[in-house]
Amino acid sequence: MMGECLRLSSMRIYAKLLKRMKVTVVSRSGREFIKGGLELHDLATVADLQEAIHKRTKKFYPSRQRLTLPVPSGSKVRPVVLSYKKSLKDYCDENQNNITVVFKDLGPQVSYRTLFFFEYLGPLILYPIFYYFPVYKFFGYEGERVIHPVQIYALYYWCFHYFKRIMETFFVHRFSHATSPLSNVFRNCAYYWTFGSYIAYYVNHPLYTPVSDLQMKIGFGFGLVCQLANFYCHIILKNLRSPDGSGGYQIPRGFLFNIVTCANYTTEIYQWLGFNIATQSVAGYVFLVVATSIMTNWALAKHRHLKKLFDGKEGRPKYPHRWVILPPFL
Amino acid sequence: MPSSFTVLSRHYLSIYNWTVFIGWFQVLFLALKTLKESGHEHVYNAVEKPLLLAQSAAILEILHGVIGLVRSPVSSSLPQMGSRVYLTWGILWSFPEIRTHILVTSLVISWSITEIIRYSFFGMKEAFGFAPSWHLWLRYSTFLVLYPTGISSEVGLIYFALPYIKASEKHCIRMPNKWNFSFDYFYGAILALGIYVPGSPHMYSYMLGQRKRALSKSKRE
Repeated sequence: MMGECLRLSSMRIYAKLLKRMKVTVVSRSGREFIKGGLELHDLATVADLQEAIHKRTKKFYPSRQRLTLPVPSGSKVRPVVLSYKKSLKDYCDENQNNITVVFKDLGPQVSYRTLFFFEYLGPLILYPIFYYFPVYKFFGYEGERVIHPVQIYALYYWCFHYFKRIMETFFVHRFSHATSPLSNVFRNCAYYWTFGSYIAYYVNHPLYTPVSDLQMKIGFGFGLVCQLANFYCHIILKNLRSPDGSGGYQIPRGFLFNIVTCANYTTEIYQWLGFNIATQSVAGYVFLVVATSIMTNWALAKHRHLKKLFDGKEGRPKYPHRWVILPPFL
Repeated sequence: MPSSFTVLSRHYLSIYNWTVFIGWFQVLFLALKTLKESGHEHVYNAVEKPLLLAQSAAILEILHGVIGLVRSPVSSSLPQMGSRVYLTWGILWSFPEIRTHILVTSLVISWSITEIIRYSFFGMKEAFGFAPSWHLWLRYSTFLVLYPTGISSEVGLIYFALPYIKASEKHCIRMPNKWNFSFDYFYGAILALGIYVPGSPHMYSYMLGQRKRALSKSKRE
């Protein structure tokens, strides 16, 4: 009891001794977003500021907030985004005890885990529906279906792939404190669920034409090896990040990362190629092309970012010369 | 001192624009003449040749944009080009039963007036370096009426052609085949109709924006 009182009073004294700082929060149009601004103590972090804004506004929880330093109007410079870990003082001018931040609402957010779970759940459930249920009767195909071996293996391969993805989402991937706008749930689910159904429709079709046994074996075999390699790549990426979710970038090393920056995308693309070699459908190949172009965009951005970050100056290591995503093309 | 490339490209573009202009002028002339003399059922047959030529020549414009000969963005001309080529080849040329429909007349008249104004406008600018302000006004104002009439004709023709599309197996790919692919032109047409729902207001408001920009710019000059 005595100790508790001492602790509380020393905290109060401590708080009184700490200087206060004034934070003005404006919207992007320049008008004051929080009337009268906020007062925080000197050592406050950006995360503290986000909490304070959340408390005042009730609606805007921290992951919805995008806080930047103001830029002079007309300036083409990209605004500095406040990092939630840093202290506010880091962003203040010399000897100043106040700061103005610009607030932007990112809209309702969902965690990446939630997003990934729903986008992968669709293909996992929809594909077997085309295999097991008499769906094709609704498309006008009456009569018995003959199931080819390749269609059975394709079902296992596909479901294994998306099951693996869901498992990785919950047990492997380390997300850098990131959320995603809610609208992405609809966009991403539309992409995965539509393509999943599109491919499932053709591969499980009663009039499906299988390829040769050898081609099927090569396709699935190669694809499986790539899926395992892809899993290992994810493990390596996970180990680059610390468990407390502080994110950040490191130079990936080991395994295929020594030759190619985004080895995880590379193995993913080749894995789909294996599936398509085995199942041979236009739908599957269209999906492969679209997925490859999306991942290539991401890979280029990541490669560029890593090269910029690790420029070899000021004691930082220099990013080694590597393929971006698909040797020998890019 | 303009480079020889600039001079050459201006010559080429002048010839291109005026040639296609003549094509569309023929379309309008023949359409009105046939309408007066024989009736709307015969309009397509009269305009078929210049229509197919002039509309297909427009595909060159994509190339012009890609190689940088003209400044217009490919993204805005592609949807318009797509619908035109689809109607011209995918509906009218492919399904003769629809050619006697009265909407063919409204389609052809809407398209040809728009294109006559547009190609002569570009032809003027390439050949003479300027275009009179009334010409600019026409280019950015006639769409206010001609877009609704043109789009309604397009949608109507696709809709009325649907029974013929379904009956014939034209442009369809059926299973089984080596590539496990199928394409049903009938459902493709339904999808095309669906695209008009968000596409038309988008195109119309895009043109409204263009109009505002172009006419205010000329006021300031």
